[in-house]
Amino acid sequence: MRKALYLMGLITLMFMLAACSESNETGGGDNGESGNSGGQSEGVVNIGYSGPLSGPAAYYGENTLSGLEMAVEEINEEGFEVDGTTYKINLETLDDQYLPNETAANAKRLKQEHDTPIIFTPHSGGIAALQVFNEQEEFIVAAYSSEPAITEAGNSLTVRIPPNYEGYLEPFTNYQMERFGPKLAALPPVTQYGQDWAEALIPHWEEQGGEVVYNSSIDFSKDTDFFTMLTNALEADPDVLFIGGPSEPTAKVAQQARELGFEGGFMVMDQAKLDEMKAVMGGSYEPLEGAIGTMPLVNADYPGSADFVEKYRATHDKDPGSEAGFHYLSMYVFVEAMKASGTVDDAKAIHEHIQDGLDALPDDKKVYEIPSIGENGGFEINTSVAAVEDGQITPIALD
Amino acid sequence: MDVLFQQLFNGLTVGSVYSLVALGLTLVYGILHIPNFAHGALYMVGAYITYTMMTSLGLHYVFAIVVSIISVGLISVLMERIVFHPLRDSTPIQHKVAAIGVLLFLEALAHYIWGADYQQMVTPYGQVIEVFGLTLTMQRILIVVTAIVAMILLYLFLKKTYTGASIIAMAQNREGAHLMGINTNKVAMLTFFIAGVLAALGASLTSPINLVFPSMGHLVILKAFVIIIIGGMGSIPGAILGGYILGFSESIGATYISSDYSDIIAFVLLIIILTIKPQGIFAKGEA
Repeated sequence: MRKALYLMGLITLMFMLAACSESNETGGGDNGESGNSGGQSEGVVNIGYSGPLSGPAAYYGENTLSGLEMAVEEINEEGFEVDGTTYKINLETLDDQYLPNETAANAKRLKQEHDTPIIFTPHSGGIAALQVFNEQEEFIVAAYSSEPAITEAGNSLTVRIPPNYEGYLEPFTNYQMERFGPKLAALPPVTQYGQDWAEALIPHWEEQGGEVVYNSSIDFSKDTDFFTMLTNALEADPDVLFIGGPSEPTAKVAQQARELGFEGGFMVMDQAKLDEMKAVMGGSYEPLEGAIGTMPLVNADYPGSADFVEKYRATHDKDPGSEAGFHYLSMYVFVEAMKASGTVDDAKAIHEHIQDGLDALPDDKKVYEIPSIGENGGFEINTSVAAVEDGQITPIALD
Repeated sequence: MDVLFQQLFNGLTVGSVYSLVALGLTLVYGILHIPNFAHGALYMVGAYITYTMMTSLGLHYVFAIVVSIISVGLISVLMERIVFHPLRDSTPIQHKVAAIGVLLFLEALAHYIWGADYQQMVTPYGQVIEVFGLTLTMQRILIVVTAIVAMILLYLFLKKTYTGASIIAMAQNREGAHLMGINTNKVAMLTFFIAGVLAALGASLTSPINLVFPSMGHLVILKAFVIIIIGGMGSIPGAILGGYILGFSESIGATYISSDYSDIIAFVLLIIILTIKPQGIFAKGEA
């Protein structure tokens, strides 16, 4: 018995070790010193990034980072001018393995070692951890998460990049109820984000006269097979399944539901993208018939999206997701905001000029159209929703 | 009733994979008394090799698995030679640290070679079959049948062949086996080879119903450790039975109690079994 307990302890330790030891630095390059070099008026702005670059969410992290890197590369070709000095951007990236405590430690390090006025982080837990001290330490949290709580906290130096998920509840619910029926089985992922989504969606669904016949969370870090859970969910005879999480495992859930004979619709949480799910399901939208989710970037028709998709395909040899698009775009917005505020290190001044940055954004950089930033620091984007109808991505008009 | 049978089948599928992975772990433990933390990484490498063989060389799924199990078997032997063998006279904690080191190395290597993306392994056996109201897929039947055949072959090998008997002999008493003229080095390498083969087989079978990614080993290795503790460290029937106990308790527990508690159910079971049989179900006298 003692030996067994000892072993269990060791295993736990092993996983903790595995988690820590991989938090190494990637990318980065030399520590660009701010200020003038030689007689020329040239400077470097350090921008921070802390996200999952190893571990189960590494793929997501790399996608977000790829957008930033692309923007930085383009911007650095010419540099940008603030107050008579030409600046280039040095992107400092640190790995946090999706762990909020690591994000906080990384941000402290980025701020102290590199004096970064802006730190990007692509997950709600990490954002919440940074909001504890970003106002004191004066840096902007460039928050990539559609979790509404991050702007409701009233943090004055946060910019929420993607649209708030509350905008999806109504179109998703209306569409699915009309097309398939009132019985919903909710299978959100066990993450904080998934749980918040489900908590917002379920009351809305019930208010609209629907019924939730099954509700249970999927843990993508523990479940090896979804048949068990889906068998139980489908036993309740739902018309619609609510699923979500990273695109690929979410697609597996949808695929296994179809294998088990499910013929209804899917409500796909905005984290998963229909085009990425399609790739896992044999490259056809057919099994996803009746799924509703965010508009895939490759199908979007904003002024800069076609251009961006083309450039991304050329450099990365795959289709960009919205993470890459939003990060690409927001790096440009921050650069424009720095120009408008006349400073590259005063986070408050930069934050005050984000609206000017949005206004000054050139058309060809508009991968998405963001007319304004709200009082609370969230980009106000017209959400764009698509459903799969007759095996085709079909835009769904919002009122 | 349909649900019960469907869930029993689901439990059988998952349990088969658990058993295969746990078998490799328990074999190595039985012989060398090393908790091989790197076993999950071998599992992951097995899935990647099968995947690469299928996508880059265009091999058929079955041939890709054959290549994969042989390569992972050899990697496992290599690991024994360059990591565990030189440590044979050191304290157990050094083995454990070394095993964790190998785990981290293999994971980082996979991340470097194949990237962090989720990969999709396409099986030629994706057909859905309905039998008496049960939904089966060919792949799932393949998992169950292959796992059972592999277990029977392993059993026959250990019980009926001289080489197999030498593995058992060494598990019972390393010194004694050595004195009887058994080449303990050879047996250790053979054991690691079999463990690698089982890990790669389990991973290659289960990958088409899930995905292939660098940290996929974590999903099963923790469960495999629970299984060999339930079954008795180093016990072969224990690993098989333990695997199915865990598989069934997860699927049945999720159905009749709550799916949010399916892990708790498995761990409560672990505690109960350890309370009644502290050495595990099939413990040998000394563990």
